[in-house]
Parts: sequence; C-alpha cells; structure tokens
Amino acid sequence: MGSFGHYLATHLDTLKAEFWLLFVGGVANGLLYAMVAVGYTLVYGVLRLINFAHSEIFMSGGFAGYFVLRAMVGSTVPSGFTSVLIIVLGIAAAGTAGAAAATLVERVAYRPLRRRRAPQLAYLISAIGASYFLFNLAGKEFGHLSISDPQPYINHTVFRIFGAPVLMYDLIILVVSVIMFVALDWLVGRTRLGRGIRSVAQDAETASLMGVNIDRTIAITFIVGGALGGVAGFLYGLNIGVVYNMGFVPALKAFTAAVLGGIGNLRGAVVGGLLLGIVENLCVVFVQAAYIDVVAFGILVLVLLVRPTGILGERLGRTA
Amino acid sequence: MTADNVFDVEHVTLRFGGVVSLNDVSLYQRRGEILAVIGPNGAGKTSLFNSLTGVYQPQEGTITFHRADGRAMTIIGKKAHRVASAGVARTFQASRMFSALSAFDNVKIGAEDHRGFGVVGAMVRGPRTRHDDRRSDEKTVELLRFVGLADRANVLAASLSYGERRRLEIARGLATEPEVLLLDEPAAGTNPAEKLDLARLIRRVRDELGVTILLIEHDMKLVMSLAERLYVLNFGSVIAEGTPADIRTNPVVVEAYLGTSAEASA
Amino acid sequence: MIRSFLQRAPIRRLLVVFGVVAVIELITGPPGSNQYPTSGFTGSYSEAASFFGLFRTQRWVVFLALALVAWGIVELWTRYGATIRARGSSALAGPRQASEKRPVRVGFALALLVLGILLPHILNNAFWQSALVTYVAIYVLLAIGLNVVVGFAGLLDLGYVAFYAIGAYTTAWVTGALPTPPPFGHPLDAFWAIPFAVVFVVIAGVLLGAPTLRLRGDYLAIVTLGFGEIITIFANNLYGITGGATGTKQIPHPVFHVGPIKYSWGLAPVPYYYLALGSVVLFLVIFSLLQRSRVGRAWTAIREDEVAAESLGINPLKFKVMAFAVGAASAGFAGVITASADNFLFPSSFTLTFSINILVLVILGGMGSITGVVVGAIIIQVIQAYLNHTPPSGYQQPDLYIYVGALLITMMIFRPAGLIPSRQRRREINLYEKSHEGHLDEVLLGDDV
Repeated sequence: MGSFGHYLATHLDTLKAEFWLLFVGGVANGLLYAMVAVGYTLVYGVLRLINFAHSEIFMSGGFAGYFVLRAMVGSTVPSGFTSVLIIVLGIAAAGTAGAAAATLVERVAYRPLRRRRAPQLAYLISAIGASYFLFNLAGKEFGHLSISDPQPYINHTVFRIFGAPVLMYDLIILVVSVIMFVALDWLVGRTRLGRGIRSVAQDAETASLMGVNIDRTIAITFIVGGALGGVAGFLYGLNIGVVYNMGFVPALKAFTAAVLGGIGNLRGAVVGGLLLGIVENLCVVFVQAAYIDVVAFGILVLVLLVRPTGILGERLGRTA
Repeated sequence: MTADNVFDVEHVTLRFGGVVSLNDVSLYQRRGEILAVIGPNGAGKTSLFNSLTGVYQPQEGTITFHRADGRAMTIIGKKAHRVASAGVARTFQASRMFSALSAFDNVKIGAEDHRGFGVVGAMVRGPRTRHDDRRSDEKTVELLRFVGLADRANVLAASLSYGERRRLEIARGLATEPEVLLLDEPAAGTNPAEKLDLARLIRRVRDELGVTILLIEHDMKLVMSLAERLYVLNFGSVIAEGTPADIRTNPVVVEAYLGTSAEASA
Repeated sequence: MIRSFLQRAPIRRLLVVFGVVAVIELITGPPGSNQYPTSGFTGSYSEAASFFGLFRTQRWVVFLALALVAWGIVELWTRYGATIRARGSSALAGPRQASEKRPVRVGFALALLVLGILLPHILNNAFWQSALVTYVAIYVLLAIGLNVVVGFAGLLDLGYVAFYAIGAYTTAWVTGALPTPPPFGHPLDAFWAIPFAVVFVVIAGVLLGAPTLRLRGDYLAIVTLGFGEIITIFANNLYGITGGATGTKQIPHPVFHVGPIKYSWGLAPVPYYYLALGSVVLFLVIFSLLQRSRVGRAWTAIREDEVAAESLGINPLKFKVMAFAVGAASAGFAGVITASADNFLFPSSFTLTFSINILVLVILGGMGSITGVVVGAIIIQVIQAYLNHTPPSGYQQPDLYIYVGALLITMMIFRPAGLIPSRQRRREINLYEKSHEGHLDEVLLGDDV
C-alpha cells in the first residue's frame, strides 16, 4: 500500500504541476471530438442508427484540407492574412469534402436500404462496408504512410492561462469550433430546416404526414454532420498529418463523447466531447501513453453499461 | 389474501417519467376464474398486463402470484422470463408471432424447456433430449388440435389469417403449461364468426385445461358473455368492480365510457 | 428540358452505371503513394491499356465501352429480368426440392468430405497446399463460428478476432513461448493448447457477453469493437506477459501423444490441413446439431421477437451469452492451429480488419446458413489467395478490403440474405420488408420527390 500511496502522491504532484497544460490540450482535443460527435448525434437523431462510416467523412476532410495546403503553402511558412486565407480555404474544402462523402454514404449505403425498410443489422453492415471501402481506397490512392500537412501558420504561443501556453493551433480550433457550434445551434433551433430535422427525430411518420420531406431532411442532416466532421478532420490533420486510417480512433472517441453526453442530444455531444478530451488528457499523468485509448474505450463501455442515456439524457427529438 | 387467489395486486403504482400509468391499483383474481379488465384507451390495461408479467416494474405496491402447489411468488422485480416459467403465460395486443416459422414451430418453442443449461445435452441428442423432443412434439400437436389449427401446422405464421394467428398465440401460450393465461385483446381485428369461435375456445381453455383466464377486451359483447367478474380501469385507477350485470348498470362506468368511447354502448 | 431528360429512368440508370464504372476503374487502377497522391487518379483514367488484346488505348476508353455494355445488360434485365427469374425459379424448383431431402443432403455432404480429403493430393502444388490451411480451412472455421453469433443469434460482434487471439496466445503460453511461465511450470505440446484454448475462449465469451449482450444491436457492435481494440492494445504493450509488439517466434509444432499413438506435425502443410479439416467437420456437426436443437429454436425466437420469446420463459441474455461462447470456441481452435502451424504470432495480426473480414465471409454466403457460410468463405478466401499469389498489375494486398467493402454494401442492397441463404433468414428478411417492396429502379436511385 505504501508504494501505491507513493505512486499516487508523485503523480498527483505531476498532475498539479501540469494541470493547466494538460487542460488546454484536453479542451482542444475535446472540441475536435465534439465536432465529430455532433455528426453521430445528428444522424442518430433522425435515423436511430450509428453511422459507422463517419470516420471516413473525417478522413475525407483531412485529405481535402491537405490538398489545399499542398497547393497553397510554399517553401516558407506563411503568416498574417495569407495564413487566415489558407486556413479558411482549407476549412471550406474540408467541409465540402466531408459533406460530399456523407452524401455519398447516405445515397449508397443508407437510402436503398431505407427504401426496403431493411432491418437494423443491414444498415450497420452496409455502413461498415462503406467505411471499409472508403478508407482502403484512400490507402490505395494516397499510400499507407502518414503525410504531414504543410504548416499554413506559425504555431507560436498566443497567450497563457495560469502559465500554460495556448498555441495558435489551439486558438484556431477554439474559434472555428465555437463558430460552427453556434451556427449549428441556430440552424437546428431557429430555422425551418432545423424544425424539419427535429420533427423527423421526434416522429418520422407524423413529420411526413405534416408535409416534411423525410428524404431531404435526412440528406441535409448527413450534409451538416458531414461538414462538421470534415472540418474536424482538417484541423486534426494540421497537427498530426493525414493517413488513410486517420479516422478510426478519433471517430471511436467521438462516438464515446456522443454517448457520454447522451446520443441524439446536440449540446450533450459538445459537453461529452469536452469532458472526454479533458479527462483523457489528464489521464496521461497516470497511465502510459499506449493505454490512453484504453481509457476512452473503458469510458465508452462503462457509460453504455451503467447509463446508456448519457449525462444529459437522450433528448431525442428535442435536440438543442 | 386467500390461497384461492392466483393474483393479489396491492396498491400498485407505475410511473413513466412524470406520467402515472397505474395509480394505486388493487385487485385480485380467484383461481379458475375468467376475469376481464376493461376501460377506455390509455386507461392502463396493457400497463397492468405488463406489470403482471414482469415486463414493467412498478415503483410501488406488491403483486403476488400464488401457484397451485401453494408457493407464492412476488412478481415485481422479477424478469419476464422468470414470471413466464413460473406459470404466467400471455398473448400480445398486436399479436407477436415468430412470423417466419411454421405454426408448429411457434408452438413447439413454447412447449420446450428453456431452463436447463444444455448446450451439450441439446446437441448430443441422448435419450433424455430425444424424449423431451418427442414430448414437445406431442404436446404441440395436441395443442394445435385443441385450438383447431391441426391442419395448418406447416403453414408459416405470417400466412395465417388474423383469427388463426390469435388462436395460434393462445396455443403457444398454453404450451408453456401456465396456471394463468393473460389475453390482451384477443378479438381485435377478427370478424364476428371468429369472435364466437374465440369465445368458445377461451371458455374451453378454462373448463378443459383448468387454466385461469385474465382478459383485456374492447368488444363489450364478448366481455359480457365471457367474463365472470370485471374490473374497470380509467386513468390508471380502478373505478369499478363486479359481475357483468353490476358493471352494465354502474353509473360511474357509464359516465367514464360515454365520455371517451362509443364502443361501450354495444 | 435537360432536367426532365436526365430524370428518365434509362438515362438515370446510364448515369449510375457510368458512376459505378468510374469507381471500378479507380479501384482497379494503379496505386498512388504518399509522395504522389494524385498519381493513382491520373493513372487510373489515362494509363494505356490493351482493349481485349485487340488494340492499345487509354483506360478510360476501355471502361467507357464496358459501361455501355453494362448499361445494355441493365436495360435488358429491367425489361426481361422478372420473366427470366420466374422461369429460373420454376426450373430450379425440382432440384431444390430434391436437395432438401435428407438422404440427398447427407450424400452430398459425404461427397464433399471425400473431395476435401483428396483435395491436397489433387492440388499437387506447394502454394495451394499451404493456402488450403492458411487461407481457407482456418477461415472456414472462423466463419462458421461467427455465423453462430451473427447468423443464429442475430448479434453483430465486431470483436470476434479477440477469441482467435486468445486461442493463439494460449498456444504460445501453454508451449512456453511467452514470457509468462506455462501452466504446471513446464511447457506442454501445442496439441494440449486445444483444451486450454477452448476453456479460455468460452470463459472470455461469457465474461464479455454477460454485461454487453443486454445492449441494443448497434451499441453491442461498438462495444465489441472497443473490446477487440483493447485486447490488441494490451497484447501490444504488456511486454512481460505477451511479449509485446514483437510477439513470439518460438511456438513449437504440435505433437499428439496418447499411449502408443504418437504423431508429430512438422513443416509440411498437408498434415495441418487434415487437422484443420477435422476441426471444421467437428464444428460443422456441432453447429448444425445445435441449430436444429431447442437451443437453435430459442435463438430463432429471440432473433425474431425478443419480447415474445421472453414471454415463453426464454431468458434472452442466457441464450445470447451461449451463442457468444459457443461461437468463440471455433475461433479458439483456429487460433491454436494457426499459431502452431506458423510457429509465431504478432499482436498486429489481430485487428478490427480481421474481424470484419470474417464478417464478410459470413455475409456473402448468407447469415444463418451453414452451407452458405462455408461456400462463401471458400470463394472469398480462394480469390484472396489467388490475388496474393499472382497479383494483377496495380494490385496491392490491402486493395482486397476495398472490394470487401463494396461487396458488403452490394450484398446489403441486393441480396441481404446472402448467396445461399438459409430459408429461415430469407423469409424473415422478406417478411420484414414486405410492407414496402422496392422496385429495382427505386432501389438503385432513390426517388426524389
């Protein structure tokens, strides 16, 4: 017991010393998870299905952004207005690619089955097939090795919180994700489109009787979730680089985040993402880096077994 | 609380979130009795059934099931399959057959014992398994004959007519050798001739097999001709109890029904 | 004007066929790389190719021609498909009925068994003899096991590889090839790993299944996937127990030694083939007996309507766990055979990809249909062995998974019950979908209202 006490004491000291550093990193990761988690939650809301191909939507965004950077970033690292322009273009390309990939997945792997009212197992399998197809195709076209993104900005410390540096990268994630979450909240909560999405989530049958076009609503849901996922892929790639299977682990964690916050609940997805990102980063102090992924899966399994409705509850239909 | 009762339901309250589905319901059923529960839509009849069979877990009150051998079982807190194995069988409002299986297999699944562990036993087909299997087959044939579906044994459940499916569901429930059979709107969707057959069948189940019957039904003619005693539920509470004659003239019941449903006038 | 033209059914079908052919062109084209990430695209469309040996031209010309031919076939099928199918099924009705008679089935199975026994001698070729074990028999064993879980009980398990890994690691442990000391303190023959492996995987199946099998289908899939990943991470990192990322290379060949009978397996693949074939036959018998037993009927009942099954006294959790554990057993067997035949194991071979590959074998043949699953597994694995042995130009090993993904989607769209469906499963799917029958055209395109 003595050695365990010692272990805990030293690690708690480290945690105290590094807390804000890990916290900032955790928030940045968490916001990325949240952007992907929103995609799971949106699709789950309207279809009651987990989109197993969402990881490849993330990957598509990563590669689209990479190609923009490859074309625009020269031999020197740009700064100022050029940086902003390149990042905005990257985001636009990644969002478009994500939305396009999501539309493709919906058209090919979901819609034909919906026409037939196929059982749930069939959707899961066809979505897994779509995911498999897309990431292995990416592997064929772009090789199986990781490619680092050309850096479009100088990643300096912008300011400090309690001594912990907040880098340009963290700031970009924060700004972009907050803008997107606010826009999404407005879209789902205040617009006609959003009403459509919410009514389908609540009761598709009734919604269709009320004149909501179900097919169109589902397609739009995929587009919105896909765009966010694509942008998240781009931001993730900026730091880590892009590779054909880059989507797998972040998507699984984002799914964990969605379940943690209560799947079907948009705000829950954001809360869950932040929570998972921070907890996971703080765990770095206690467990070896190799086991960090185990922590996330452990949380997923635990939440599903103990409280499958998540922290904020499955507010199906009353999204956002 | 006499040993003659099969069910003693005392002060049962069932809530879903803020909605009270059953509100302080107390009732009992005597062994061998044909008892009916009636009430307008949403009165809590099916909730009561689901509470009696372990599908729902009411937050308050007790439900005791007295078995013929004298043992008593508390139902609240038990899983549905445990309640079923103890001798409470049921049918469903929208009949839930195994539609891709034949009528025979539907009943046979009910007739089989699912309690032993038996991976090896089930595979090896030793004398015991073979004996059990033959017994299940015999029981199945017998029950199909009893409900009048002997000639439909090899037909897919999905291809049976509505009335036939109702009878098949009764046979499947009886295959578990229950002491009580709970029938959730057995006559829904059947034509007048089928209704008559069904009423006759239900009475035979009680008279010939000695199975106690608890019934939810909307068709008043059927209920009044079949039930020996009735409870009336409205908004989750028992508002009246008595013989068909009592109920027909009870002003509270008439009030409840005229307010909500026209079926009652039948 | 243009819009209404584009929306005419044949034109829409033409566009879809063009799209599909363009994708096929891409996936059969030359690969790109991380340095030249666009070369795959450009090469796929512009590279020179021979037009059926007649003349050389650009790839896109060849595929354009193919697309037009494919469109013609689709149009003909739309027009005459229903008649052809009706005629086909009435012509097949006789043989189909005959094939369902018991003596015919048993005779057929025996003939196949004899063929299976003679096969390595017919294929007098070193590659194919070893491929029979490493590509075919092992995978058939895995596929029929996963079929119990997915096909019989209707549970989507994406962590099936975990049981295979447990089988393989148990073999390494029992034979003393791991840093962990073997049971009873001294190494045993690899053959004795079989009982250990079976016990371990069954225990693992129960431990994993008991808490998770209460979950709904899609959650179950994700949780099993998570478990599969956790197992790989642990195998990769627990150096002191599993040997870490390098695994082990010291697993001995098995020896069967009971009383006077002694047989040692060596480097030659054919004896392993017989070991694997024997296991396949054993599990085929076990699983088909189970399917026809009351346990099999209980699985069917749960798959069709869990609430109704429970009302008949069936404990769904118990039977699901049973399916998990029983299905795991054959994976444990497969793990033992692979580990002892290869003499090595690496944690990197036990990935999600592996689980999904097995799932594909089950789905192609037909979930729930033992015959279908065996046939499906043989077809895919023989193709895979062939492609790896003599890869066509531009083909890399992981490309197979692109085809696998496409196959999964195609099967779910057009033939969800599989190539040789179990009658039961086909009926279930048909009944489920009957309320909304899809016309081929509608299925292909969806109708925008």
